[in-house]
Amino acid sequence: MRTRLAISILVLSALAAVTVGTIGASGHPARRAASTPKRGGTVTIARQEDTESFDKTNVFQNESIWLLEQINETLYTVTPDGRSVKPWLATGVKVSNGGKRYTFTLRKGVRFSNGQPMAAADVKFSIDDARAQKKGWGYIDSAIKNVQAPNKSTAVINLKYPWAPFLADIALFANGIIPKNFAGQTRVEFYKHPIGTGPFMYDSRVVGQSVTFKRNPNYWQKGKPYLDSVKWTFVSDQNTRELQLRGGQIQVDEFPAYNSVKKLQSTPGVKMFLFPSTRTDYMLMNESYAPLKDVHVRRAISYMVDRAAIAKAILFGFGKPANSFMPPQVPFYDPHSPGIQYDPKKAKAEMAKSKYKNGFDVEMTVGAGASDENAIAQVVQQALKSLKINVKFRQVDTSTEFSQLQQGKYQLGFSYWTMDIADPDELVTFAVDPKGGGANSFFTGYTNPKIIKLTHQAQRTTNRAQRQSLYSQIQRIAAQDAFMGFLFYSPFRYATSDKVHGFFVYPLGNYHMEDVWVS
Amino acid sequence: MSLAAYVARRLLQMVLVVFGVTILVFFLIHLVPGDPARTMLGVRATPERVKLLHEQWGLNKPLPVQYERFMERLVRGNLGNSLFYSVPAGRLVLDRLPVTLWLIGLGALFSVLIAVPLATIAAAKREGVPDHAIRVVPLVGLGFPSFWIGIMLLLAFALNSGRLFPVGGYGSGFVGHLHSMFLPALTVALGLVPILVRSLRASLLEVFEADYITTARSKGLPERRVLIRHGLRNAIISTISVLAVSIGFLVGGTLIIEQVYALPGIGQLMINSILARDFPVVQAVALVFAVMVVLVYLISDIVHAALDPRVRFD
Repeated sequence: MRTRLAISILVLSALAAVTVGTIGASGHPARRAASTPKRGGTVTIARQEDTESFDKTNVFQNESIWLLEQINETLYTVTPDGRSVKPWLATGVKVSNGGKRYTFTLRKGVRFSNGQPMAAADVKFSIDDARAQKKGWGYIDSAIKNVQAPNKSTAVINLKYPWAPFLADIALFANGIIPKNFAGQTRVEFYKHPIGTGPFMYDSRVVGQSVTFKRNPNYWQKGKPYLDSVKWTFVSDQNTRELQLRGGQIQVDEFPAYNSVKKLQSTPGVKMFLFPSTRTDYMLMNESYAPLKDVHVRRAISYMVDRAAIAKAILFGFGKPANSFMPPQVPFYDPHSPGIQYDPKKAKAEMAKSKYKNGFDVEMTVGAGASDENAIAQVVQQALKSLKINVKFRQVDTSTEFSQLQQGKYQLGFSYWTMDIADPDELVTFAVDPKGGGANSFFTGYTNPKIIKLTHQAQRTTNRAQRQSLYSQIQRIAAQDAFMGFLFYSPFRYATSDKVHGFFVYPLGNYHMEDVWVS
Repeated sequence: MSLAAYVARRLLQMVLVVFGVTILVFFLIHLVPGDPARTMLGVRATPERVKLLHEQWGLNKPLPVQYERFMERLVRGNLGNSLFYSVPAGRLVLDRLPVTLWLIGLGALFSVLIAVPLATIAAAKREGVPDHAIRVVPLVGLGFPSFWIGIMLLLAFALNSGRLFPVGGYGSGFVGHLHSMFLPALTVALGLVPILVRSLRASLLEVFEADYITTARSKGLPERRVLIRHGLRNAIISTISVLAVSIGFLVGGTLIIEQVYALPGIGQLMINSILARDFPVVQAVALVFAVMVVLVYLISDIVHAALDPRVRFD
């Protein structure tokens, strides 16, 4: 949005209105559930992927994370708008010692599903265990110096240095509270059927088919959960999930196809939801390939991508062009960030300023069978012809695609991100701090000392206004450097039976099944 | 050679085939690009985390060493643990095997039940209207992809027409399985029937020219008896071979049908494990497929011999 700022804002606003309007038309379940919640019943949720693991400290798959959050809860949790955190298993926190000491007061009357009361020793054990996981989420707790349990209802976490995202980090599922010493089991045994304070407890699992959780009778929120049980099934085919919903075999269809959304919106007995999400799609440009090292070339490519057309064609209008590498649902997102938008004239002007005025050949890695990605790739290929950039596709299966992107064995490629915490730090570090994020700036090789310095400053600045200013600068520089093509923001799509109430997906992708009931 | 000796020899051959399959699959799946650690970690795959997972799974060792370990485990009946689910790969496969066996078995049964009468009628009414109809209609059906047929059957019989069958799933108990597998098996059968009808019709027409059929007719045997007892019994022998080959293909080719009907079968497991590079599961599935294909061909040979006394085991 370097130029045509006003037009872009208009487009963004219009698309946002469409999205919100769509949600509004179907009704926000949490707000429109007019009748009294009813206790009992089961909800079956059909999903496109199966659950891999219940080990909250080492799993990275969303389909596992969204499940285990029904069992494991954290001291603080994300607010429904995804932009903040609120007390959950803790009732509050006192910050002292120059922002390096966090004293949590634990909620009274909280019990694990095995009946054992939750105490500060459990908090210490859980967080110490989480931060020790080197191949998992341990890195998110790297600012923690130690965890103390001075008494049963107080947990103290001392930091090595003031760390602005700390409360957002502590609200990460990996820092969920489990019984001390895995309730007497081994780590492996425990995570086969974990115990937590959440509204549901493990019931059964058929690997590759389904997972069933039942009501936790010791849940601390009085009267909740309403449901007796929740079952998640693995149904990879989108059409079958839709037919199962229409046939009453399931009550929630996760991620129906974009081309089914309009039909589902008018299907009797079905509620179609488009929840604002933190998903952001990108076109990666690897700077180890000489032409893509040239900022003018990167800008030219980015200017040639017609994001609005892609959002309309691929997402059937249910998405909006991205103006920042940060999504709107994350705190400190800047709606005025000048992320590059479609402008062929500027593209040609940038190309003329580059060392590659006469064009060049470039290879684009595309996931075989990833239909959306293939469609975007073709749009980009056609668009770049006018810059004399000859795009050749290299189709590989998705595992190879992942592997080669991560190892920098590509020139142009695609990827996306969804937030895990209600703070931009995780994404920003990953995307623009090549060493800090451990991913070579989202696998692009982008390095800008100024943006790295700002990122580090933002991590330790607790003043909200100052942080906003820092993150606005970061977004502006990232947009000017065009280190990736920021493509589009898209919603989380869920279709439910109209008998399901209170189902609400947070921008981070998680949902609180304790609020759900069936009529 | 006696039947027992023949079966023993074929089973011994099977061991060699399976051994060959283990080598081929092991090295192929390890040599193609892609990394289970990077698939599991997604965009958060830092070199350190990838290295830790490789060490945990033993993928940091040279390939021959990994193969040696795999074979050591295999001879003890252990196929290793799934990298993603952390459960024994063998158990994963065996849990899903009944679903695929049901699908293939019931599909084969339905295809025989449909194809035999149709082919017999077509051959008996050669060049008549029934013959043309029977030859053309199933052939048109063959032109439709199985996922489309599956969705149409679901729409017709699971959604719009009194919901006679469930929209996918495997069901529970014998009756539940039968109920749930009816439409998937019918989809399998609709793919097989045109091939079987054409094969069986051609064989029947050939058999009808044989001297023993003329003899049977001249003895005054009823036409129905001539057709079934003398014609069909001889003609079906070649069709059994066609069916066996088709089933051999089906063993690895039920993926689409499993996806459309949300069946937790071995086809889905195979494709997911290949895409995720879940090496132990890929190897376990390949092993089971190899055994199944060899067994299907063995059974086909035995049935062939049982139906045709001229066939000898050698």
